[in-house]
Amino acid sequence: MTPLTIRDVDRDEALGEALSELYGTTRAGFLRTAALGSAAMLATLLRPADAAAQVSDVAILNFGLRFERLQATFYTQAEEMGTIGRMKDAKQEWARTLGAHERAHVKIIERVLGPKAGPRPFFDFGEANETPAAFTRTAVAMEDLTVALLTGITPQVHDRGLISAFAGLLTVEARHAAWARHLVGAVPAPRAFDEARSIDSVRGAVDRTNFIVGKPKTGARRAPRYAG
Amino acid sequence: MTAAFAPRANAPGGEPAAQLGLPPPGVPAFTPGLPRRLGSTRHLSHWAPVKRSTPARSAPDRDAPAVATLATTTPEGTRNIVAVLARRTDRFGRPWVRVRLAELPNGTTGWVERAALGGYGTVDTRLDIDLSRLQATLYRAGQPVLHVPVGVGAPGTETPRGEFYVRNKLTRYRSPPYGPVAFGTSARSPTATDWPAGGFVGIHGTDRPDLVPGRVSHGCIRMRNEDILAVARQLPIGTPVTVH
Repeated sequence: MTPLTIRDVDRDEALGEALSELYGTTRAGFLRTAALGSAAMLATLLRPADAAAQVSDVAILNFGLRFERLQATFYTQAEEMGTIGRMKDAKQEWARTLGAHERAHVKIIERVLGPKAGPRPFFDFGEANETPAAFTRTAVAMEDLTVALLTGITPQVHDRGLISAFAGLLTVEARHAAWARHLVGAVPAPRAFDEARSIDSVRGAVDRTNFIVGKPKTGARRAPRYAG
Repeated sequence: MTAAFAPRANAPGGEPAAQLGLPPPGVPAFTPGLPRRLGSTRHLSHWAPVKRSTPARSAPDRDAPAVATLATTTPEGTRNIVAVLARRTDRFGRPWVRVRLAELPNGTTGWVERAALGGYGTVDTRLDIDLSRLQATLYRAGQPVLHVPVGVGAPGTETPRGEFYVRNKLTRYRSPPYGPVAFGTSARSPTATDWPAGGFVGIHGTDRPDLVPGRVSHGCIRMRNEDILAVARQLPIGTPVTVH
């Protein structure tokens, strides 16, 4: 099977643009064509400054929640709007299962954080979950990114119970990624060792996809001028 | 931190590992519940903000005639939103969305390119306005959760019938005839087109509760102030409104 690259899964160039801002044009250009998960790609992604970052467990959980909400909404919307219903049976099973898992992840992290949970963001996936093809491409990229994220943040967690819980999430997300890759004909496990990505690098990649946006202003403090 | 994420009391023990002289396995601070498939979507409706001014066309095709032009803001200065009705891809693979429009004649729909719209919002509510019974009923997930009496359009300025949606919410203003809260809808009065903001039908409170229920307005739906406040607590933007 041909190795999967970011260019293959990123038709709208949302991830590509994010990479450009994060790593500069030259490195981003290389990253777009490097095999996802290859040693060369991971070496480029790793930045020495990231290792020094100290983040609280609550902040890490909230970042995890933000990412899980993004994924859960991506799958849920695609199911509600009928995109998943237009896919072949095997892909429907995959997409519906992943959606159910991501919603369960959101629910438990929200419960653990309680009032410390950050506000629910508003998401704009644009055309990324409008068609089965765009949905699948984006899901593959998203699951690979999730594995890299969890690999990166799990060792930074201080609480041992949380580390154990994150490990449980990580292994499931890795299965998601492998399942997604298999469905698109890519190598499910392209390497013998998964390198980590830092919170900063994943945050940058996520934020710059523009999937997370400000909630539309639908309220105002002004006198009505309706018909009366 | 440790107390906040304490392992569960009933977590499995580590006897076999202890027999081997190994430490017990780590006990996760949390374990997700069983994954649940999405339930029925029958009562869900979607809306989307208009990101850029764009023509709404009679078909999902750039060559199809325009039926209206969507603005990005409403006369109230809020983001313009549209109700999402259907989706389709054109022959070039471009996704299109069929939307309900806040245009005369009431009931107008059109196709807009997906790229002109922002992210989808989802609601499971529906507001039913019964003009003959002078009653509004709010439904959530298909179940009625609130019934309130309403004042509606007087003879000659009737409240238009049809399918509409809530598109904005105004608060903290000083205008007693509109009560404490006012919602803008996509419905427009066919007889108040020269109204300053276009004659949109609102759902709002009143300073004349004695006239509710009744046929008393210029087309708007009036509620007693305590009722509009109760409705406001449960009525999200994007909620479909049926007037019959």
